[in-house]
Amino acid sequence: MVKVGIVGLGTMGRQHAEAYRQMPDVQLCAVYDHHLDRAQAFAQEFNTVVAPDFKTLLQQCEIVDICTPTYRHAEYALPAIEAGKAVVCEKPLARTLQECEQIVEAVRKHNTLFMPAHVLRFFPEYRLAHQMVRAGTLGTVAAVRMRRGGDFPRTKSDWYADFDKSGGIIMDLIIHDIDWVRWTLGEVERLYAKALTFHGLEHLDYTLVTMRLRNGTLAHIEGTWCDPGGFRVSFEICGDAGMLEYDSAQMVALRVARRVEAGQAGGVEVPESPAVQNPYYLELRHFVECYQNGQPPEITVEDGMEAVRLTLAAIESARTGAVVHLK
Amino acid sequence: MKVKVGIMSFAHLHADSYAHCLLTNPRAEFVGIADHDPQRAKEKAQRYGVQVFDSYESLLASDVQAVIICSENVRHAPLAQMAAAAGKHILCEKPLMTRLEDGQAMLAAARGAGVQLFTAFPCRFSPAFRQLCARVQAGEIGDLLAMRGTNRGVNPGGWFNDPELAGGGAMMDHTVHVADLMRLLTGQEIVEVYAETNNLMYHGNFDDTAMLTLTFEKGIFATLDSSWSRPRTFPTWGDVTLAVYGTRGVIEMDMFAQYLRHYDDRAGRIRQVFWGDNIDALMIDEFLRAVSGEPAPTLATGEDGYKAAAVAIAGYESVQRSEPVRV
Repeated sequence: MVKVGIVGLGTMGRQHAEAYRQMPDVQLCAVYDHHLDRAQAFAQEFNTVVAPDFKTLLQQCEIVDICTPTYRHAEYALPAIEAGKAVVCEKPLARTLQECEQIVEAVRKHNTLFMPAHVLRFFPEYRLAHQMVRAGTLGTVAAVRMRRGGDFPRTKSDWYADFDKSGGIIMDLIIHDIDWVRWTLGEVERLYAKALTFHGLEHLDYTLVTMRLRNGTLAHIEGTWCDPGGFRVSFEICGDAGMLEYDSAQMVALRVARRVEAGQAGGVEVPESPAVQNPYYLELRHFVECYQNGQPPEITVEDGMEAVRLTLAAIESARTGAVVHLK
Repeated sequence: MKVKVGIMSFAHLHADSYAHCLLTNPRAEFVGIADHDPQRAKEKAQRYGVQVFDSYESLLASDVQAVIICSENVRHAPLAQMAAAAGKHILCEKPLMTRLEDGQAMLAAARGAGVQLFTAFPCRFSPAFRQLCARVQAGEIGDLLAMRGTNRGVNPGGWFNDPELAGGGAMMDHTVHVADLMRLLTGQEIVEVYAETNNLMYHGNFDDTAMLTLTFEKGIFATLDSSWSRPRTFPTWGDVTLAVYGTRGVIEMDMFAQYLRHYDDRAGRIRQVFWGDNIDALMIDEFLRAVSGEPAPTLATGEDGYKAAAVAIAGYESVQRSEPVRV
């Protein structure tokens, strides 16, 4: 049995706990959260215990899974690495580049297993597109357009609205697409970005980022937290031998629309893409198997840092209006 | 009284559509054609059953009241100046010019001769776009924040791939339509342009992939993809899309998404068969009215054409300098 402990029991902590519950060789041995009442209800639901503090959780488990808000990743990741634990940490790796560097250094020093949870790499549609591009199916890729978003994310603490905690839409949301572009097409030479992040708007954020890659490909990434039309992603990859496109709003395997009784709220259409295993399961299963077999995970701690570096560059460009050249 | 119209050059593929519009509009008398390619002039005149002129001078010496210029981009300026000097009203294919000084000379010539100069921006006449403008103006999505536009196409080939005649590549060809729509929608001028281009689709000495970031007077920002990135198997010629983000919502327009999907076994391909309104015909009709002295509320003026083309020209300057440039 692999013993896993989860820190941070919000939306992501729950997703991860659901995934571990399906693994017969994994035991969720402890959970930890700042909000004690939330932690207790969570522990009851997932048949585990609440660690009295993080130190105790570290003693109880082999894998530490960090699902806290971004600005608190480093404070849990660093002691976990130092304790020699295998660590899977939600994206973004950390809120600042300095924290990322500390984490990278700690992983190297203690030679531990570490994976930043860029779950997009485990979404089958994005994985397939990555594989087709890498196999040369589209020829030379000239342009990539990616879109992600919906309405502004709301949580009890509203930490997404606090730029110092979340890094806004660029760092929290489109880091997914930035990582995918880097994973699939290589390093970025320069980028230019616009964003509403610094326009002083309440619960509205939007960004348009244009990146030029070292291989000449142009990548355009759109992130929205101001679209009340529901969460949606799409991408389009144009090469000299063909084009791939995907739109989650158009390619829908199951559409549910319920008639709403008078006076009731709701009636929202929910498109679904059913699969035997969801991407969070695939991602965490990969990490558990890496732990069991002593293999390095396919997403490195350096990948996590480079993704953060690119989001910080885009934030700088949006803030200053200047082109940012990556070294 | 019918308006007598001649067409100067059939170099641009839109000339055939305009010829058809003239022939089917009860206000028009399509008099004849002149072209620097005499063979093409003869063939087209024969096809449309109109007079062939052996030179632009002889067409302009006839009793036509107005001309439509559909030459290669760099020839717009000399032809428009000739037509203005002959006292003919002008509808000029886009982009109005490929150099600022050419555009200034065209505007001055029209003003000096007291003739009307218009730019062929049929997208202004799209019922979807009219509806978009009306809803934005009615405040349905609150204050405008940002826009995302595309005008992609398949590579038209021929002289479009010769920068000597086209004044550029995809960015020169495809920036102006949506730049014009954005100006019209916001009532604001584009003050800064950042652009990235490459030639990875066709590997020629022209840009086939282009992405622009535009900043408006009051801080609204937008991106515009003007690439020839549609593959040869794409089911139609391309697209015109515009997403508009406001403080209270989003409106997304896909201008030509009024089609049947035709799985054509005879041709061995899938195509989109458009059933929406013919915006070229709507534009030509207003041009004919304008020549008759009626108001032209929707038609793009020479100044509109100049301002849109200036965005593409600024785009090339931005590419040269790798930084945003003032328009």
